Amino acid sequence: MTQRASTRGLLALAVALALMATAGGQAVAQKAGGTPILSEPLAKLDIKPAQIDTARGTPKGTLTVAMHFALDPGWLDPLEHSYVITMQMYDYLVHDAMIKPMNYGYVTYGLAEHAELSADFRRAAFRLRPGLKFHDGQPLTTADVKWTYESFKGAYAKVFHDKLEHIQIADDRTIVFHFKEPFIDFMDLYNGGIGGIGWIVPKHYYEKVGRDGFKAKPIGAGPYKLVSQQAGVQMTFEAFEEYWRRTPATKTIVVKGVRDLTARMAGLQTGELDLAFGMTGKLLSRLMADKSLRWDPNFTGPWWLMFPGGNEQGSPFRDKRVRQAVSLAINRQFLVKQETQGIGKPWGNWISPENRDALQGQDAPVPEFNLEKAKQLMTQAGFPDGFEVDYTPFPPYFDMAERIITDLRAIGIRGKVQSLEGPAFRSKIGQGRKGFPGNRTIVQNIDPRAGGSKANIAVYAVCDSPSSFMCDPQIEALWKKHQASLDLAERERLVKQIQRIVLDEHYFVPIYWNPFVAAVGPRVLPEGEGFHRYWDTLNAPYPWPWEIWEVKADR
Amino acid sequence: MRKYILVRALYSVVTLWLLVTIIFGLVRLTGDPVAMKAEAGADAAYVAQLRQNWGLDQPLYWQYLSFVGRLLRADFGHSFEKSLPVRDIYFERLPNSLKLGFAAFLISISFGVPFGMLSALKVNSWWDNTGKMIALFGLSMPGFFVGLVLILVFGIGLGWFPVLGKGSSAFIWDAPWTWVTFWFRDWAHLVMPAFALGWYFSGAMLRITRSGMLDVLGSDYIKLVRLKGVPERMVVARHALKNSMIPVLTFAGLNLLIMVNVAVVIEVIFNWPGVGQLLYDALSNRDFPMVQGVVLMSGLMIVLLNFTIDVLYGYVDPRIRLSR
Repeated sequence: MTQRASTRGLLALAVALALMATAGGQAVAQKAGGTPILSEPLAKLDIKPAQIDTARGTPKGTLTVAMHFALDPGWLDPLEHSYVITMQMYDYLVHDAMIKPMNYGYVTYGLAEHAELSADFRRAAFRLRPGLKFHDGQPLTTADVKWTYESFKGAYAKVFHDKLEHIQIADDRTIVFHFKEPFIDFMDLYNGGIGGIGWIVPKHYYEKVGRDGFKAKPIGAGPYKLVSQQAGVQMTFEAFEEYWRRTPATKTIVVKGVRDLTARMAGLQTGELDLAFGMTGKLLSRLMADKSLRWDPNFTGPWWLMFPGGNEQGSPFRDKRVRQAVSLAINRQFLVKQETQGIGKPWGNWISPENRDALQGQDAPVPEFNLEKAKQLMTQAGFPDGFEVDYTPFPPYFDMAERIITDLRAIGIRGKVQSLEGPAFRSKIGQGRKGFPGNRTIVQNIDPRAGGSKANIAVYAVCDSPSSFMCDPQIEALWKKHQASLDLAERERLVKQIQRIVLDEHYFVPIYWNPFVAAVGPRVLPEGEGFHRYWDTLNAPYPWPWEIWEVKADR
Repeated sequence: MRKYILVRALYSVVTLWLLVTIIFGLVRLTGDPVAMKAEAGADAAYVAQLRQNWGLDQPLYWQYLSFVGRLLRADFGHSFEKSLPVRDIYFERLPNSLKLGFAAFLISISFGVPFGMLSALKVNSWWDNTGKMIALFGLSMPGFFVGLVLILVFGIGLGWFPVLGKGSSAFIWDAPWTWVTFWFRDWAHLVMPAFALGWYFSGAMLRITRSGMLDVLGSDYIKLVRLKGVPERMVVARHALKNSMIPVLTFAGLNLLIMVNVAVVIEVIFNWPGVGQLLYDALSNRDFPMVQGVVLMSGLMIVLLNFTIDVLYGYVDPRIRLSR
């Protein structure tokens, strides 16, 4: 599993710079390399080289984007990065990360041109690419990388700080993180696709303007500079033409918070918007019928059902046959047609197939729809007449909940929808078992989190997670083994084994892979279907990176 | 008179203090704001840090005291959701709401008052029936419906007006030259939301003008004026109009405050960045400081308006100040 970095360096030189054709111009896939940093056995890293555009064009046009909720200036500050994945949309605009998911790979080099991880996972080293600059022209150095790590107080901060022994700055471009113990998840968590600590913040500027000042007018090293914002309403970004990877294709990006679906639809139709998110629901058919608009299915995560208290005495869901009957009673094909105009895909796992190590295809086949078998199982389990349940759907998908309840009624499970608004639902999920008292409850959830399948397991399938509703001794044993293992292949195997148990035992009932439809207007280039390339980045609910977006020039 | 004003001022302060206390308590009954940022599976340290950052780890009485203490320094705290000082965000939004509110107010007055007068003057005629019909439509067709119809017809269908936002003009408090240009630019953005908002109030205004006018026209002093042979035009213009306008103006003042502060639905439909939408977002996200700030500012406006009206009444009618 280990490989000398010097060998990789030589290989890198041998491969040289591969030219890759992209729609925007000539992109050079830079092979990572250079002299090794760590003089010890290294773990194998699969980090794709950055694709650097050799032809530096001139940005043109304005892209007006509508988010489906109010904008938070806090999203502009990676130091306080929350778990909310929306933040990454702004990371990708204003900031840049050491390594990050891109449209050409899930782990790719960003600010770093070279990375190493020691085979014992106790040291991680990075070399910054030369000539990096923040928007104010100041150089980006390892001092900023160190300061960002040490000042970070967002999601997973405790893990990073607890594990850190010290940070060694070898020079302006080379930095080594020393950990107290093996930190096998470091590269996963440091990846910009997961959290905020890898997005580098300018020390000099942050210290000068302070926390509020930074949120109001942030500076980063990303492809776009924030030029103005009205808190919650609108942010305007302009291309940072000296961005190292390429000149952004669009000159101005305006992001608006437009909560109302009807307003987003109207904005697209009048040409006031070029890109709108969250176009699912009742207006989807209208969007699909409008010849001037285009849409991307933008698959995020699968829907699934879970059973709080299902492992407790007295719960009908304690019986595997009942859980299986629930699965068999759901007509996924019909549901997909009704809910998503047929775009969604009936699915056999609760983890997004874009997440690493997720079971899919033949390993996780779509559960069958078989009412007769479901009724038989209910009878065998001692519930021939069914029972009553509370049904709590992820808001605002209440229509979908009603449809599933209608399906379940066919096997005697009579549900009553508990409609909660977003914060209340999240709060209950966060409280886990306490959030859903009683043990005759079905929760309909979706969670397109990145970070590999292990992240989904850690949250939903192990006993000590605050948001888990299940506790299976077999899974616990496998999970303990996973957490103790430093063997990546073994970890992958264990993660798949755990998923297998969850699915075979019907602890979770997967429904369909959800399309979080986004729509684009006629000004977005390329015309025709080529625009789907903006959604090539894996595990990304939003179409980053932004520097590749092209629009027609302003009139 | 001085004692009367002092008593009214004291009442106003007590009202505000009650509002501060009630909103502080009520907003905390709505749920846990930390859940908004801490997704499922968030580690306990992160959750604890958020609570600490937002002061929610303190005992309730301490939260209340520090809230009141900050208020005395005109500091509403930091928004949980928008991460900046509430005061800054509120005052950035307020001019937008004032612009929309005043425009809707003008529309409601220009429709409601003339039609109301006409209805009263030509009672039970074709004019009156038309006026009553307009009032009925105004009061029964909700603003969001009118807004959506306007968007469909004039925004999407005819393409006459933009459907989103307020345009690029901005009111910047420390840039006085923007104070004037802000009001007169981007009127195309204003037309539809102002009409949708003013429409409902037009109906209400029409009805109250009509009934006020009818009351006055049926009063003894108007009969006397008529008996004296004063021309009808003079009766209406000089004697009836002024008196019938007293309740209309009081009502209009309150309407204006409502239009400025709680035009939530219209602001959401047209994505108008006013304080109504700010309040809606804050409530949806359990943003306690923002909810408190917006409600208190609205309350302050209403209390000030009532105080001013009380004082004016006291000046106009000595019986009022003597009886209290």
